[in-house]
Amino acid sequence: MTGRDIFIVNNNVDEMGGVTTWSHQMARLFTESGHRVHVVGVVPAPEELRADLGDDLPYTTTTLYDAHPPKAVPAARGIKGRLNIAEQRRRAARQAGMQQQADKLSALFRGARPGGVVIVTQVWAMEWVALADTAGLPVVGMTHESFDACRKSSRFGRVKKYYRGVDRLLALTREDADLWIRQGMDNADFMPNPLPVMPEMPSDRTAKVVASIGRLSDEKGVDLLLDTWAMVAPDHPDWTLRIYGSGDDEDLLKKQAAMLGLDGSVEFMGRTDDVAGALRGASVFAQSSRAEGFPLSLMEAMAGGVPCAAFDCAPGVHEIVRDGEDGLLAVVGNTTELARHIDALISDKELRDRLGTAARENVQRYSTDRILKRWEDLFALLER
Amino acid sequence: MPVPDVSVVVIVYNDADRLPTAVRSVLDQTLHGVEVLIVDDCSTDRSFDVARQLAAAHPDRVRALQLPENSGGCGAPRNHGVQHATGAYVMFLDSDDVLEPNACRNMLEAAERTGADLVSGMCVRVEVDSRHKKQTEWYPWLYSRTRTIESISELPDLLVFDTLSTNKCYRREFLLAAGLVFPVGIHYEDLLFSAQAYVAARRITLIPNHVYFWNVFEKAATKSISNRRHEIANFAHRMEIHRRVDELLEREGLDDLKFHKDVKFLKHDLVLHLRDLPLLDEDYRREFARMANGYLAGIAPEAYERVQRIQAICAYLLAREDWANLMPAVDTLINRDKLSSPLAERDGRIYWCAEHLDDPEGRRVLDVTDAGYHTRSVGKLFLRNQLTAYEDDGQGTVRLAGTVVNPLGKVAPGTPLRGRLELKARRKSLQAFSFPLTSLRIAADGLHWDAELDLARRLRPLGVIDAVWDVRLILDVDGVTTRTRLTVGGVDLDSAHALRVRPRLSRLVSDRVEPATSKRGHLSFVLDAQGKAARRTNDVLRQALRSPAADLAKSGVRKARKAQRDLNSGETKLRVYHEVFSKLPVRKGLVVFESHLGKQYSDSPRAIYEEMRRQGVDFEAVWAYDGKKPEGFPQDATLVKRWSWQYLRALAQAEFWIDNQGFPLRLVKRPETTYIQTWHGSALKRMGFDEPRMKLKTRAAKEDFQKVLDRFDHFLVRSEHDVRTLAGAFRLRDEVLLRSGYPRNDALVATRRAEEASGVRERGPLAEELGIGADKTVLLYAPTFRANPNGSVRGFELPFDVDEFAERFGDRFVLLMRSHYLNNVVLPPSVRGKVIDVTGHHDITPLLQLADGMITDYSSVMFDYALLDRPMLFFAYDYEEYANEARGTYFDLKEKAPGPVLGTAEELFAAIEGLKAADEGHREARRRFTAEFGEYDQGDAARRIVDRFFGGAGAAEEPDSGPAHGGALPGPAVITGSAHSGSSVKGEAHDRA
Repeated sequence: MTGRDIFIVNNNVDEMGGVTTWSHQMARLFTESGHRVHVVGVVPAPEELRADLGDDLPYTTTTLYDAHPPKAVPAARGIKGRLNIAEQRRRAARQAGMQQQADKLSALFRGARPGGVVIVTQVWAMEWVALADTAGLPVVGMTHESFDACRKSSRFGRVKKYYRGVDRLLALTREDADLWIRQGMDNADFMPNPLPVMPEMPSDRTAKVVASIGRLSDEKGVDLLLDTWAMVAPDHPDWTLRIYGSGDDEDLLKKQAAMLGLDGSVEFMGRTDDVAGALRGASVFAQSSRAEGFPLSLMEAMAGGVPCAAFDCAPGVHEIVRDGEDGLLAVVGNTTELARHIDALISDKELRDRLGTAARENVQRYSTDRILKRWEDLFALLER
Repeated sequence: MPVPDVSVVVIVYNDADRLPTAVRSVLDQTLHGVEVLIVDDCSTDRSFDVARQLAAAHPDRVRALQLPENSGGCGAPRNHGVQHATGAYVMFLDSDDVLEPNACRNMLEAAERTGADLVSGMCVRVEVDSRHKKQTEWYPWLYSRTRTIESISELPDLLVFDTLSTNKCYRREFLLAAGLVFPVGIHYEDLLFSAQAYVAARRITLIPNHVYFWNVFEKAATKSISNRRHEIANFAHRMEIHRRVDELLEREGLDDLKFHKDVKFLKHDLVLHLRDLPLLDEDYRREFARMANGYLAGIAPEAYERVQRIQAICAYLLAREDWANLMPAVDTLINRDKLSSPLAERDGRIYWCAEHLDDPEGRRVLDVTDAGYHTRSVGKLFLRNQLTAYEDDGQGTVRLAGTVVNPLGKVAPGTPLRGRLELKARRKSLQAFSFPLTSLRIAADGLHWDAELDLARRLRPLGVIDAVWDVRLILDVDGVTTRTRLTVGGVDLDSAHALRVRPRLSRLVSDRVEPATSKRGHLSFVLDAQGKAARRTNDVLRQALRSPAADLAKSGVRKARKAQRDLNSGETKLRVYHEVFSKLPVRKGLVVFESHLGKQYSDSPRAIYEEMRRQGVDFEAVWAYDGKKPEGFPQDATLVKRWSWQYLRALAQAEFWIDNQGFPLRLVKRPETTYIQTWHGSALKRMGFDEPRMKLKTRAAKEDFQKVLDRFDHFLVRSEHDVRTLAGAFRLRDEVLLRSGYPRNDALVATRRAEEASGVRERGPLAEELGIGADKTVLLYAPTFRANPNGSVRGFELPFDVDEFAERFGDRFVLLMRSHYLNNVVLPPSVRGKVIDVTGHHDITPLLQLADGMITDYSSVMFDYALLDRPMLFFAYDYEEYANEARGTYFDLKEKAPGPVLGTAEELFAAIEGLKAADEGHREARRRFTAEFGEYDQGDAARRIVDRFFGGAGAAEEPDSGPAHGGALPGPAVITGSAHSGSSVKGEAHDRA
């Protein structure tokens, strides 16, 4: 069935990166296949992270709040809490404000024709959807991170609370979904992210460059990649590790690279807008993250025909990369093993080509067509 | 309604009240295309009326059917329902159970995605009558993740364990095509039906979702003989169904499945029935044995190898109808840690009983050597104590007699023996009462005892909350205490009288006490109210306990208990340590010692301590110990339990901390305190920040760990290898390092020098203690422990045959076996005197001094033993696995080992044979090895450290490198849960905080 009213509800509609990018990609895909899409954000993105969406979006967007509402503070317990009138008032105001915004959602939802669907991409946004009237519309909740990452965060309890009643809770992989089911979320299912772009020309894998692309933050583990590279570089002095990305840790990482004596073999490239170009100029892709969800960067590298050596830090990673078939995976944190993998890919052109070619082929299972089809199947299932 | 996706067949028999709930759970499914077929098995209540009302209320979704006559089972109505179903898929639901709301959607989604004939989800058993509606997942390990199998032979456990038919969704066409129907006229129809369905299905998908709530209504009615009789009939049905399933498997050629099923039968089905045997009469036992043995005869003999030894022993003894040996065996079956048989030693092995040893299969099954009973003292055994007499005077006195098993005659005739009976309230930390024995003697068949208990006078329960009193016999066998429970067995308690008691809260609360048998077959006494007044009081009490006032009182008690727990919790202690103890003045000369987290009095801290005593240093010594009692710790020091208040206070006020592994990570060291970290071994495996799992931690966690390491003011190293590895791994600044060598190794260096000077190897008192003759060459086997990838300790199995060793070398060699304290190795009696377990020795140094040669694999003891310049063998049978493991090593053992590196037991034996040659050929390698890894071990480490820190008049001088820290540590170090659980400094998670 086409022509559904699809509401995608995010924390915000205009934040750079991550879930918001996913929302706009899906909104575009849904629109192109004949659905009417409405992307809703609860709050405006913080100024410094705001992205320019342009004015030619083929679908509507709405942001509920004009400014970020007061943060929720856990109530002080006991008599002390009850006597804190100011805090009590603030909470009541926040509560009333939430209901007011949720009513806006209800109004939007009421305009939907039969067959409409609400997709909530983040559990924080779900707190508003939960207050809204979704009668007649199936609600799909999403958790865009690995189960383990979620469990370590404050979102874990909220996912279990707010998503319990939704018609389907989508994790990123089967494995993550099964873990949610074991937490008593019997509505859990999974939905992979779609591949963003499919470059026409893959890398020819001849440049003596190992590339890494990602934020320079602790989570992305670039420090581990430098440790790894320190084991690989001496045997391959003609090869370079190019680190694309920027972030808080940039200075620390540069210092580390200098300490490890990698000045000659590591290039910090800064943030790039031309990911495809960066990949075309590389023969190996390395990822050493401490945590991931369903890493786009691996999919992009594979689409570019660049074989990956990566830490298997989440179900999403081994879902995308099949170890030994279209990439090489190392136990997370085991830099020796990761170094072995990078070394193998550098030393063995034939292996590089075999894995790179397979990668470009295999990553097709996340093509936009396939993922769109999965969504249509899901909508149909929810109607049966 | 169009063709429904799923038809749910709901069967009902005389269950009108619950039927609507079951049907509602189907109508409320998130999947809408579901129809309900209610099949009434000709109920005599209103069930069918209710069914018709439901059908009328939902004409397009519910149909009501009825069988013409009662079938007495579940099979016929289900078959009838399937015949009338129209959905693409079929599920079964019983009228007292409910479906999980998403069940149909999840099943349908899985079935369509995989094209499976059969989808199975997790069933949850709900104990409806229990206080919190206790839920138990049914075989969760089968349903831990979504999986699809093409044939049941890929997952035999599914057929073997999950024999329910109700937690499943069947493709209707599949049921019809395969002709699957439930058997009629026999119980346990699910077992056969599910087996048939599994075998016939082309593809099976399992989903981890809860799909079915199986409500269990269990009135804990005491089992009488009459319902035992009923059970025999059930058992007959059960055996018949098993036989039919076996036939099916045989017909289909599924031998492997049959084997798995046999194993499960021995492990579970049989055990279930054996547990009741001790309480049953002769006739029942014989009938049971007849039926069970008929079936056991068809079980594959190899199945016995796959079950726990005691299960196999029970099956074997049952097959032989050896009741005398079976009954004690069943006691062990029920109480796993109990030793219930006197055992027998034959030809160097230990057997469960002396009978059946002419039968080769009997020898195989009854061999319990590996359980290690023969290596434990009676104090470490839980012995069976069979009640032989129970008599009461109908007033207040009861006379008891019993026999305690005396395994392998461990209690020799003439051993001083004392004993008493203890009655203790089951609810813990209440009162206990002791009663003397009237006699206790050692006889051929065990220890016989008698006692007379004047309960009326001597037992003084409170009267409420301490209703159940457990009975124990506490024996003192020449200073060793062992506690036993009284096994009731065949002793008749039914005709026992209720005896008088005088509760402290007066007879108004309860006035009688009666004997009872606990679930595990042990004697207890239960208070009861029989007099009119007492009964009335009890009613009042029961009422009162449900009142709001009582709730308030109960919550008060809970709060008080919690307060007490909190007071002694780790968090409170940490707070008091940092906020109170650390404000007290530091006491000059107070030194706190600890070795291996308090587990031992050993290693360098001990060597330093002893050197201080030798030099007569004036100091106040505190040794920390872990465990119940400090065993083997010095008498002339204050002993404090690790994590006790005294321990924390001592640490807070100490002038010196000296340990070899790590004081509790979360304790901040005061700047006035000097921490001498002696460490406990050079590294082969990567440590600290060089370990992958440490690298993986977040920056914050690493900073916290660094704070822990920064507590070290001095860190002892033995070589520049340590500097390159350990100092780097712990990020220690160079001024922290003390290039002194290890104090613990002074003795080894001295031994070598003495030997070189005199040309004679002196054997210390240990040789005599262990009974080693002067003509024997002593070998020490000291393997390291092995961990699983997740860090847990892996069970250790000896990589060579000790019997073979004893046979080949026993005339020339003695092998000392020192396994890691986390591993346990049992030596058979056959190697007595030839292979000796020395794992229990605190200090390894005397063992090293005694050993003429050493066998190890990767243990850091290699670095120490090398100082003695004696032959070393490296039995690295799993070298590849070890070296390639995630953690990684600092160097390649094969390259540097100062002795042959051996891969197989045969190579090892050959090397022992040629020990002399190994010695000669590796002299140079050993010299290099010692130079590289032990260059600072010059035999004076303890003296140098004591001189430096405790020299002069005994008062400590400021160490010349100055305190490592200029100011106070950033205080209290907060270490995240993950950081501290996985990262005691050594990397073993035994620390507690």
